[in-house]
Amino acid sequence: MIFRPPKPTSWELNLAPMVDVMMCLIIFFLLATELVDRAHRPMDLPFAVAAQMVDRSEFGSRVVINIHDDDHDLSPAEYVVVGWDGRKITEHVLPPEEIEAFLLSKAQQSTARDEDMRCVIRADKQVAYSDVEVVLRGCGLAQIGKIVFSANAGPDPEDQPEGAQ
Amino acid sequence: MRRGLPEPAGQRVPNLAPMVDVIMVLLVFFMLGASLHLTTEGVLQTELDPRSGPGEGAPVEIIPAVQIALEDVDDGRSCNIYVTGEPLEGNSFGHLLAYLRDRREAGADPTNPTVIGAQATVRWNFVVKAMDAAVQAGFKNVQFAVSLGGSGQLSP
Repeated sequence: MIFRPPKPTSWELNLAPMVDVMMCLIIFFLLATELVDRAHRPMDLPFAVAAQMVDRSEFGSRVVINIHDDDHDLSPAEYVVVGWDGRKITEHVLPPEEIEAFLLSKAQQSTARDEDMRCVIRADKQVAYSDVEVVLRGCGLAQIGKIVFSANAGPDPEDQPEGAQ
Repeated sequence: MRRGLPEPAGQRVPNLAPMVDVIMVLLVFFMLGASLHLTTEGVLQTELDPRSGPGEGAPVEIIPAVQIALEDVDDGRSCNIYVTGEPLEGNSFGHLLAYLRDRREAGADPTNPTVIGAQATVRWNFVVKAMDAAVQAGFKNVQFAVSLGGSGQLSP
C-alpha cells in the first residue's frame, strides 16, 4: 500500500464580497456628496423649524446669492454669486450697488427663455437685515417674486427653553 | 522532458488587487468629500407681492393680517418684538408663535400678507425666526418690509 502525501491546499482570498461592499459605499458617498453644487458653500445658516427639505432641481431657473459676513459686525457683507460659464463653476463677488443690475439682467434672461426665476438667498445668521434687504429690494425691482431662504431645518440648538432670545 | 497541460481557462482567477486599490482610493476620496451636514439644509419659501417693484402706477396700500416689527437691542444680541405696533407680551419668538396661532384660531385669513419688518441692524437670525413662527402658525403669505432708500430704519 502506497501512501502519498496530501496535496497542499491552495488558499485564495475571495475579494468579491469586499468589492461588493466597497462599491455600495462608493455609490452611497457619490449620492451623498454634492461636489458640483457649489451653491452649498459652508455657511452659518439660521435654524427654522418650518424649513422644508426640497430638491433644488425643483426650483428650475434660479439665481443663488450667498451673503456672508466674516466679521459678524456691521461692516458690509460679501455677496457671492455662483454661476456656470459653460466650462466651469464660477464665483463672483458682487458689490452691493451691483446687485440690482445683476438681478435685473438675470430676470430678463429668464423672461426671454420663458422661465420662472427664483432667487435663493443663503445668508449667514449673523448678517444684518440691511444686507439681506439689498437683495430683497433688487428682487422687487427685477420683478423676481419667488424668494427662497435657506435655513437649517430644525430647532435652534442655541435657543433657551423659555424663548428664542 | 515532460510537458504539462495548460490550466483550464475556468480556473483562472482575475487579479482583483488593482481594482481594489482604485476602489479604496475612490472610497477615501468620497468619504472625505462628503459632507452629510448638507442634508439638513432646508428652505423657507415666499412669494413677493406682485404689486411690488418699480411700477409706474399709483402706490397701493397693502393691509397686512399681521405686522411684525423687530427692533435691535444690545448691538444685535437680541431684539424687541412688536406686533401690529404693540410690544409683544413675553418678547420671545415662542410667545410670537403662540400669538400667531391664536390669531389663526381666531379666524385670521392665512393668505393675507404677514409683513415682517426689521431695523437695519437686526440680525438675519431673528428675522428668520419671525418668519419661521409665521409659517409654523399657518400663514402662507409672508412679506418683508423693505426701505426703498436702503436706510433700513423702521419704526415699530
